[in-house]
Amino acid sequence: MTLAVLLVVIAVLSLAIVLRLAVSRSLQVSAGASPALQIQPLDIEAFRNLTSPAEDEFLRRRLPAAEFRRVRRVRLRATSAYVLVAGRNAAVLVRLGQMALASSDANTSQAAHQLVDQALLLRRNCALALIRIHIALAWPLPNEAAAPVLRGYEQLNGCALLLTRLQNPAAPVRISAS
Amino acid sequence: MLEPHSLLWHYLWVAPSILVLVLVCRLWQKSLQRQHALFIAFAVASAVEQLTLYCCDVIPSVTARTWWEVFWVGLLVEGILKFALVGEIFAQAFDAYRSIARLGTRLIRTVGVTLVLAAAIAAGFAPRDSLFGIVSGAHLLQQAIYLIECGLLLFIFVFSAYFSVQLSRSVFGIAVGLAVSGCVHLATWAIIANGGLSDERRVLLDFVNMATYHVCVLVWFYYLLVPAKVAAKSAVSVPEHTLEVWNQELERLLQQ
Repeated sequence: MTLAVLLVVIAVLSLAIVLRLAVSRSLQVSAGASPALQIQPLDIEAFRNLTSPAEDEFLRRRLPAAEFRRVRRVRLRATSAYVLVAGRNAAVLVRLGQMALASSDANTSQAAHQLVDQALLLRRNCALALIRIHIALAWPLPNEAAAPVLRGYEQLNGCALLLTRLQNPAAPVRISAS
Repeated sequence: MLEPHSLLWHYLWVAPSILVLVLVCRLWQKSLQRQHALFIAFAVASAVEQLTLYCCDVIPSVTARTWWEVFWVGLLVEGILKFALVGEIFAQAFDAYRSIARLGTRLIRTVGVTLVLAAAIAAGFAPRDSLFGIVSGAHLLQQAIYLIECGLLLFIFVFSAYFSVQLSRSVFGIAVGLAVSGCVHLATWAIIANGGLSDERRVLLDFVNMATYHVCVLVWFYYLLVPAKVAAKSAVSVPEHTLEVWNQELERLLQQ
């Protein structure tokens, strides 16, 4: 009977998860709001600083060992927050790309496909980076976990800009921020 | 009303199978048979299985042993087609995306092997719930099939949700129907195979299974035949602050 109860609990939990995901998908489809509004800004310079091995090395030379370990943990926690945001933005860009996949224009469709692929890669790297950051919090390892995320985010910028430009050529895409 | 051979019992056993065959005909009329080849094969097999079992049940000359033998054959054919269908759902959902297709394939294989082991262990620990091996074996095989099916479909849903990959409307509908039916059947077959229930209570669980399958057939009707509402699509627009960050990055890359 214990086995039956265990299997029933597993079945009920699975059903609840499937129904929740199905309902949230239906709500997303019917809401119609642009997912782009969910993108959170990310300070790339600060992110780059946090993941820089040179910065780590500089702090190691300047700070006492105990103080360095404390600072390192704070930096790792900050990095994980940045990685989380990058991952969420990647998920939003996947949805944006998928909306443009069915475009009749071949260039737009190709750009959308490239954006989706890059965003999925970034999302995957974010998951791996978060695991490595949490291991690094417990065990002193070089802080290089988030480097692929930063590189991926930079590549994603190009893809997203290209798609935006192709979908709305009239919109000015400014190269310089003023 | 909730008794064997009541009107509701006859309806719930026969109607979903007839509806599934109507659905298959409509898909054929719409020339969607190639797009949903495995689903059609699965639907036809399960409808033929259920209608054959129903006929065997109501014809007095058919013995109980023959009924269970037919049940076994149907179960094996339906199980194989069901797993092929789950594989096709996964392929249709993720094969188009190179960056996660390989990771997904590796993960679903691992999940599949783990589920087969879990199903074997669960079957090993289950008590023999019937004097006849053919009956208890069928119950355990049902439990194993639904455990693996549930796990695989749950993985597909969670994997696609994590990566925000939208399944196409028809694939999503087929997956939801299969998953809901799989979860409910897993719970009921687990109770039947392990619970040592009386015949009266088993009949109630039969009603739950049949009603759930009916609902799932209606879900398939909705997602496969009713066209999606066309939402006004706007061009992808990105918030100004994001564009600014991207522009800064692009400028930096250009200057490198």
